[in-house]
Amino acid sequence: MTQKEITLTVNGTERELTVEPRRLLVHAIREDLDLTGTHIGCDTGNCGACTVYKDGQAVKSCLQFAVQADGSEVTTVEGMADLPEAGSGRDDDLHPIQEGFREMHGLQCGYCTPGMIMAGKALLEENPDPTDEEIRERISGNLCRCTGYQNIVKSIQYAADVYNDREPPEPQAEAEAAADGGTPMGGGGTTGGCGCDGPAGSGATVDLEHDYPTTGAGPASPADDPTSDGGGDAR
Amino acid sequence: MKAAQFEHHEPTTVDEAVSLLESLDEPTILAGGQSLVPMMRFRLARPETVVDLNRIEDLEYLREDEGHLRIGALARHADVEESALIAERYGSFADCAPLVADPQIRNQGTLVGSVAQSDPKGDWGTVILAHDGEVVASGPDGERVVPADEFFLLPYDNTLAESELITEIRVPVPDEREGSAYHKLKRKVGDYAMVGVAARVVLDDDGTIDTARVALTAVDITNARSPGAEAVLEGESPSADLLREAGEAAADESNPESDEHGSADYKRNMVRVLTQRALADAVERAR
Repeated sequence: MTQKEITLTVNGTERELTVEPRRLLVHAIREDLDLTGTHIGCDTGNCGACTVYKDGQAVKSCLQFAVQADGSEVTTVEGMADLPEAGSGRDDDLHPIQEGFREMHGLQCGYCTPGMIMAGKALLEENPDPTDEEIRERISGNLCRCTGYQNIVKSIQYAADVYNDREPPEPQAEAEAAADGGTPMGGGGTTGGCGCDGPAGSGATVDLEHDYPTTGAGPASPADDPTSDGGGDAR
Repeated sequence: MKAAQFEHHEPTTVDEAVSLLESLDEPTILAGGQSLVPMMRFRLARPETVVDLNRIEDLEYLREDEGHLRIGALARHADVEESALIAERYGSFADCAPLVADPQIRNQGTLVGSVAQSDPKGDWGTVILAHDGEVVASGPDGERVVPADEFFLLPYDNTLAESELITEIRVPVPDEREGSAYHKLKRKVGDYAMVGVAARVVLDDDGTIDTARVALTAVDITNARSPGAEAVLEGESPSADLLREAGEAAADESNPESDEHGSADYKRNMVRVLTQRALADAVERAR
């Protein structure tokens, strides 16, 4: 079957590729260009992990063939730190959205993060100062299955602060540590990022007959738990 | 999974596309690809030749012209969603666009492609039906205009011939006293409609309903109008009782099937509810 020559400008560099027409854009990016930051999560177009920024828009790179992208400009997560707005936050190197995800605990396993970052990039290009509601709408094509969406929204909001010359919030880990008088990640208690809401005090024998209080030991409410989506969902 | 091998053709004009469709063996048309690409990946579709319309710049438009809103084959859902013209004058289109799939898919998928796909759970066919829309198809014998009413045949089947492509979908520009709306029930972003209802009304000077259209998504073998509901409404003055009666008529005429999302009875009830809501919005916008 005939192969096609295509040209993609990926993260500012023009790349020439020879691909079968059936090659998906995401496979060309990951396998031909070895840029494995763009993930494949679901294979069905639902999860958004493969989101890239193509010709000014967020698209799912598993839902188009590479030949369709011939002549396009594509930005992947690997290119974020080379964009003009990189280094404009507290960190000299990272893109403000990347910095936001780091500072606001916007990820746990990180699988969805590249797609979330690219969706966030597309949003902030169009609307540099979005509301939480607008952020939730624009990441609604991206699934996160571990942290919930609260901190992802905060991460993008952090970047919006940088875009708008506002002081972004203090990093969450240090803020909590200061409040606890402990070390980052809730070293002073069980209120850290592990998301477990078990009884206080490690080593306690679990008494199945006992009616354990649901508050106090663990996070006081879902809203206080950085790992919970608090019942809210970007969907 | 990977798609099966295929030959990829990229015409740059409609004429070129038509001659490719005529000469190739069982070609498939690719526009936004947000349904076709996953179908090819799962090998539910195995076309040997694909005619990709994306390089035909003449098909990238969304405009009012000669009494019609005209939507070219490469207008994306996001183009409809972001259009000031749509926001100002076409309530049902403005309601529908942000409810289609998710933001990334709306950047890529096309309204015309959605109608061509003719999925009974697709939203746009319902909106087009409620607007007395027309499908403009180009083929070897030239251009053909098919009323939306006559376009849909069966799930994923329509009156297009194999060597034809839809170049445009158009609907008449709205009257002064016209309003339309689309309501959709779905569990979450990205889902197809469990039930969808498009409503459009044109009011007389005295406020009675001159023309009424009610069309339904996902509750019949195709997107379908509800003539019973329309008959209840026309010539009458809009009231809560009248809209309730129209909702009941639409529910009676619908033919939903039970599935994992809900029973047929539940869906029929939702047709009743959403019809009233869509009509209420349409009447409000017409005033």
